[in-house]
Amino acid sequence: MIKKTFKIPDMTCSNCAMKLESLEDILDGVKEINASYHRLEMVIEYDNSKLTDEQIITAVRKKGYTAIAQ
Amino acid sequence: MDLIVAFITGLTTGGLGCLAVQGGLLTSTLAHQIEQDMQAHNGAGSTQKFKPHIAQPILFFLLAKLIAYTILGYLLGAVGSVLQLTSLMRAILYFAIGIFMIGNGLRMFNVHPIFRYFVIEPPSSLTRYIRRKSKNGTSFFTPLLLGTLTIFLPCGVTQAMMATALGTGSPTQGAVLMFSFILGTSPLFFSVAYFATRLGSAIEKYFTRIVAVTMLIMGLVQVDTGLNLSGAPFSFSRTVSILQAYALPAQTGMSIEVTENGYSPQILHLPANQDLTIEWVTRNTQSCARSVVVPDLEYQEILPVTGRIKFDIPAQEKGAIIRYTCSMGMYPSQLVFDLEPTETNQ
Repeated sequence: MIKKTFKIPDMTCSNCAMKLESLEDILDGVKEINASYHRLEMVIEYDNSKLTDEQIITAVRKKGYTAIAQ
Repeated sequence: MDLIVAFITGLTTGGLGCLAVQGGLLTSTLAHQIEQDMQAHNGAGSTQKFKPHIAQPILFFLLAKLIAYTILGYLLGAVGSVLQLTSLMRAILYFAIGIFMIGNGLRMFNVHPIFRYFVIEPPSSLTRYIRRKSKNGTSFFTPLLLGTLTIFLPCGVTQAMMATALGTGSPTQGAVLMFSFILGTSPLFFSVAYFATRLGSAIEKYFTRIVAVTMLIMGLVQVDTGLNLSGAPFSFSRTVSILQAYALPAQTGMSIEVTENGYSPQILHLPANQDLTIEWVTRNTQSCARSVVVPDLEYQEILPVTGRIKFDIPAQEKGAIIRYTCSMGMYPSQLVFDLEPTETNQ
């Protein structure tokens, strides 16, 4: 399990954070996602043997946002 | 705040603001409902046009929301009544609401990252719980539960209205205020939720701009109200009303008519350097002008619907001005002590 932060510059409200956190239920290998509109970032704890950064970035894009790995 | 104003606020900015924050919750529940209806429709091999049953869950959601916020308004009003807010505390509350709304308006326009902190972020554990409930929702219990849980996800306008409910200092008024506001938010919320699947992000952005502009205007109005309640010499509404009053001949006398539209005369000229007793006169007056506040004298009185109430004023220096308003910060008026003692029929 690793913990990684992604910047999400195009969040516009706290509902965006909720939308991003819902990736927990979609992506395989994710333990927890905490997104913050205040900080415009998403902290994701996941199993890197099951999930790659690219897959996370693609899933975020499907939600309508841009993820930049930190 | 007038109940009609609360309703209209809900109907316009409240509906739009809530939509941005709470709309996603309801939409996800509805999406699940649509999915289920579609499976049932296809499974039955029906040849009729597919029509999901989403009106009822939306209504249950909105009903639960209305009840939950009415109870919340009651509790906030009860807290406000225990606190016994003075006019200065109310003024500070209005300032805070105004700054909060202006901050949110500026946030929506992306003026500066600091304005993002004007949004209260619910904890992830709570949003996670709500999200899972909405995902699993099939029964009417879920829309009811989600409608109730929206009290933990209030939008900026709702938060401002909650602060106003606190400021009423009355459980009943707080409950009625929140009821009016949430009732106002319901038509737009229902319409948009009903047609949610057809709404694109372009329309969401358009809504955001309308909300932002309205938040800025309303925020300025709240700050103006706070200025009136604190007895500040300058506020936008005070300047306008005083300029209007100065256009009329100077009014003297020892009584003030409290009407549906405020106080008459708006500027009353009184003798300086002597103790005075003037009268508030009400004649079937129903407006908030009945609840009069004179911040400089720490005087606050709820007048009868019809009657004459005496108001003792200690001697004031020549040229002194005492400002007063209703407890909602409307109808700014003033007493000007610029007459010689012989000039009135004391």
